[in-house]
Amino acid sequence: MNQSTPFLGRFAWRTLLVLLYLFLLAPIIIVFIISFDTRQYLAFPPESYSFGSYAKVFANPTFISAFGRSLIIGLVVGLGAVAAGMLLSLSLARHEFRGKGSVNFLILAPFLVPHIVLAVGIMLVMAPIGLLDTYAGIIIAHLGITIPYTVRTIMMSLMSVDRRVEEAALVHGASPAMVFWRITLPLVSPGLIAGGVIAFLISFDEATISLFIVSVRTSTLPTEIFHYLEYSTDPQIAALSVILILISVGVVIAVERLIGLRRAL
Amino acid sequence: MVDHHVEIEQLVKTYPGAQKPSVDRVSFSLPRGEMLALLGPSGCGKTTILRMIAGLIAPTSGAIRIDGRDVSAIPVHKRNMGMVFQSYALFPHMTVARNVSFGLEMRKVGKTEIEERVKKALDLVKLTGLGERKVSQLSGGQQQRAAIARSLVIEPELLLLDEPLSNLDAKLRDEMRDEIREIQARTGVTAIFVTHDQDEALSMADRLAVMSNGRLEQIGTPREIFDRPQTDFVATFIGAGNFFSGKVREPGVAEVEGLGELRFSGEAPTGSSVKLMVRPHRLVLDGTGAAGVNRFSGTVEHIVYRGQTLTLTVRCGTQRLQADLPTHAGVLPEKGGEITLAVAPEDVTFIEKAAA
Ligand SMILES: Nc1ncnc2c1ncn2[C@@H]1O[C@H](COP(=O)(O)OP(=O)(O)O)[C@@H](O)[C@H]1O
Ligand SMILES: [Mg+2]
Repeated sequence: MNQSTPFLGRFAWRTLLVLLYLFLLAPIIIVFIISFDTRQYLAFPPESYSFGSYAKVFANPTFISAFGRSLIIGLVVGLGAVAAGMLLSLSLARHEFRGKGSVNFLILAPFLVPHIVLAVGIMLVMAPIGLLDTYAGIIIAHLGITIPYTVRTIMMSLMSVDRRVEEAALVHGASPAMVFWRITLPLVSPGLIAGGVIAFLISFDEATISLFIVSVRTSTLPTEIFHYLEYSTDPQIAALSVILILISVGVVIAVERLIGLRRAL
Repeated sequence: MVDHHVEIEQLVKTYPGAQKPSVDRVSFSLPRGEMLALLGPSGCGKTTILRMIAGLIAPTSGAIRIDGRDVSAIPVHKRNMGMVFQSYALFPHMTVARNVSFGLEMRKVGKTEIEERVKKALDLVKLTGLGERKVSQLSGGQQQRAAIARSLVIEPELLLLDEPLSNLDAKLRDEMRDEIREIQARTGVTAIFVTHDQDEALSMADRLAVMSNGRLEQIGTPREIFDRPQTDFVATFIGAGNFFSGKVREPGVAEVEGLGELRFSGEAPTGSSVKLMVRPHRLVLDGTGAAGVNRFSGTVEHIVYRGQTLTLTVRCGTQRLQADLPTHAGVLPEKGGEITLAVAPEDVTFIEKAAA
């Protein structure tokens, strides 16, 4: 009895883990398999396999130009959210000012409000000032939903920076700007990179808000996928999904390597 | 007129929202090359003083002068101070050498000169060859040395050390105590170090400034502080002591209730109440056996053997005396035995500023 119980426990635990992973990965696995199907509709399992859908995706000018726009928007949003997050974190972590609580709450707010509600609000604000379907409009909207994340990650890094270390730099001759540049910034760089990557990925994946703001000129890859799905369902979508997943995974792995490498040095 | 290198005058710091000042009208000065210890219990304002001198916080009032010049308008990074933090506060993302060269880089010193001076500084603190190490690969003692090198390499006007030994284990602490003293003597840098450890202060400093509750109690050489404490606080904070309240009968002689006449050093007006102190190790066994002026007979109540000394508690009249006798003093007293203790008048200290 006593000996079989730990074994049973371990067995149950492992089974649970395997099931959980299967549950999480199943959609991805199915999409992956379907993306190689040769038929012109989505069905499982495929009858025969080819790279045809991938070729079609790369030959689709709508997808390619939307991908380019998404990339640019994602990069600008990533950098902008990091810069804004750095400024906000510094003032929240290092300064006492009136209304600090409100600012803190405002930064949290986008976490609490459903994206669909935000989307309607942003659309109503942007329509009269002509920001709909402009790069500025979509970038501002994406900054709004990503800055909370960069503030979080940078705050975490900033809290772990020992104030005495900054003071030591100051005492030994570094101007406040130099302290920021030579001490604070390098020490919070993990938070900057993590925040930037998260902001990029959120912007790159975001569909709900984008659908309300963009139309033909600044359509992003997610909105193009959405529109494509309205009229047709074929393995091209599966192939495109696989490509998007690979990009996200690629970015995360690359950054992990980068930061990992830096730590090792 | 004495040339003071560093002068602190009527320094006050009241933190925003605080009821009372953390540093209250503190004045002292240091000649060039002196090592001063700021000694006092935790929370008495030592770190606050150091941070004001460094420029990290602004005084509420008062002046800090270096070579006669008020530095209050000079921003931190231009004061040319060296500071060793309690937690060392080395730059964790830089090598040891980069930590040490930091101040020189900020001063735009040329590359070859930086290399030379960093090497010299590392040699001085016995970290030769460890320049390329990461800070995290150093032991506590080595981090301490690196922090000292980082401060000394810039040839600071003043070296400030905040509880420099408190994070080291006992053995290393003794070693670093001597070493810091030696480095300071060798470089001739004027230094202020903060500590709550009286042994550390007594053994390392040229002079001690004893603080309590934000106030400076007394400043003087280790000897003056130990042998001639001027306030109750200093007398009780530093070392052990027997304290007596008495009334001055004639110049230099006080009547202590339950003990008798006590001849003391120091000047107190006849008829006034005084507080007197005798250090336990200043009491000696008296062979004559007769009680008299500065001779007290009593019963040994308690004995603690401490190797080199024997600590006795002796009941004399209504008073209890503590005496530290050397263990080589011949026939040693036993518990319950009658003995006579004597003390020289110059070893009976009159505490001038005591609330008698
Ligand atoms: N930044 C601060 N804000 C408010 N009070 C402080 C601050 N720093 C220190 N104090 C208070 O000032 C007093 C002296 O502190 P400190 O100088 O650190 O003492 P010490 O170094 O002698 O232990 C303490 O009562 C402490 O609580
Ligand atoms: Mg302190």
